Amino acid sequence: MLAPFDVSYMQSALLAGLLISVPCGLLGVWVVLRGLAFFSHAVGVATFPGVVLGLGFPAVGPFAGSLIAAGAFGVAVSSVETDHRVRGGAVTGLALAAAMAIGAVLLTTVAKVSAPVESVLFGSLLGISGLDIARCAVAAVLAIGALALLWPRLAASAFDRAWAAPAGACPARTDALLLILLGFTVVTALPAVGSLLVSGLLVIPAATARLLCDRIGAMTACAVALCTAEVVIGLVLARELNVAPGASIATVGGLGFALAAAVAAVRSACSRRAAGA
Amino acid sequence: MTSPRSAPDRLDEGGDQGPHAAPATVTADRLSVAFGGHPALSEVCFALTGGTFTGVLGPNGAGKTTLLRALLGLVAATGETTLRGRAAYVPQLAMVSEAFPIDALGVVIMGRYPRLGWRRRPGRGDRRLAADLLEQVGLADRARSPFGALSGGQRQRVLMARALAQEGDVLLLDEPLTGIDAPSQSTMLDVIGAQRAQGKTVVMTTHDLGQAARECDRLLLLNRTVIGDGTAAEVLTPEVLGRAYEAQVVMLDGGAALIDEGVHHHPSRRGAG
Repeated sequence: MLAPFDVSYMQSALLAGLLISVPCGLLGVWVVLRGLAFFSHAVGVATFPGVVLGLGFPAVGPFAGSLIAAGAFGVAVSSVETDHRVRGGAVTGLALAAAMAIGAVLLTTVAKVSAPVESVLFGSLLGISGLDIARCAVAAVLAIGALALLWPRLAASAFDRAWAAPAGACPARTDALLLILLGFTVVTALPAVGSLLVSGLLVIPAATARLLCDRIGAMTACAVALCTAEVVIGLVLARELNVAPGASIATVGGLGFALAAAVAAVRSACSRRAAGA
Repeated sequence: MTSPRSAPDRLDEGGDQGPHAAPATVTADRLSVAFGGHPALSEVCFALTGGTFTGVLGPNGAGKTTLLRALLGLVAATGETTLRGRAAYVPQLAMVSEAFPIDALGVVIMGRYPRLGWRRRPGRGDRRLAADLLEQVGLADRARSPFGALSGGQRQRVLMARALAQEGDVLLLDEPLTGIDAPSQSTMLDVIGAQRAQGKTVVMTTHDLGQAARECDRLLLLNRTVIGDGTAAEVLTPEVLGRAYEAQVVMLDGGAALIDEGVHHHPSRRGAG
């Protein structure tokens, strides 16, 4: 079992993966419960112009560039969404297209770089740097701290927004903090799993946990556990089968979800039969 | 834009309990609310005292929900509202997520957070209180059931228990009896009666004129403004009802019934009422 981790790049990948599993699992719960899966996927993809700028201007660097792009994307979506005629996926979709278009223009005009498209899209966990690992640790600490402080407000806002506001839970401010934290986590996870597969760590484990758990505490613990299991198994498979780790991690997550869905279906069939008998 | 009022649930922190000379606990003075230029409430005036149970009636879109939300300071309003003491709120059941992973006890414990300040975590005393409140609404055996697995009536009772956990002085209930089973309704009414007996001010919106006439001390008939305010005998007259509902009204057994003329008085799922 431990044999695949006998080389240092695998150990770095494991460390980064385990660290980023913590914020992804914790925040993924709220992504699933609040229906933010498309937004979190889009914010990752929409960092593209930031990555291009970061590569074009080494003083900025891709991480800071991505953070700026993610922030701009979040602000754009949130402010357009206040118009109730265009809500939800529509705004996210149009901002995503805009970000990709800006990135494409910047790529050929300002930055004049050839972006390493594959690693932007799918990540390069096996080439992860010490700085990336440190950022994953920061994201983990931030997510633990913020959720420890905010979870009652998040729960109230998600469960019953009409009640949360007069009860003093400040749902709007809580939402804004959740989105900021989400943006930071996605940007931090990009070097590891890439913009197309970040949902593999953010959405899949939490969605699987939701199928298995009926209480928020259990769901959170389950999501983090599934996330870490996904990373470990995915890395082992990547080494054994010689495939890209981002892809094998997301595949393991998808199989886990399918298994949980099957278990949930069997369980509900059994309880229906028990109720009928 | 907003009227001069402070956050309703922060007033009188640990203040005096019980009405001494029955001062007004909830008042509105020329309260007006508009959404996008359309008036939702205009020049609403009333004063409620502790130990009373008021029913807010009116057709769909009359501004019943908006009135409660204006009293809570949630919508931009002109005029003045006061709310003495802490408010506890039960929103319409349809506004609450059924899919959220939380059990009945968890929902009631949530009601302790406004008192705890959202940073402190509920202690053993809070949990015991929440369990007692679940028992009060007849759901002690469903404490660990997921909220989404409960029936409509049971969910409504859980939300009521959460409001009681807030230990408010004013209870604002948005259609708490709409669309729920008869046993749940009678449990809710028992709980409301007990709160009234403790000197709390209870305000409920409803579509059921007959039930409101039987159960409430006072009726407030609303159609963007106050059309009728008083006892059932004063408010539920054909003239007053006709003005509020703009439909033909017939009286049955001393109660009122409506003959619909394009105006439906079915319980609405929308929060606009």
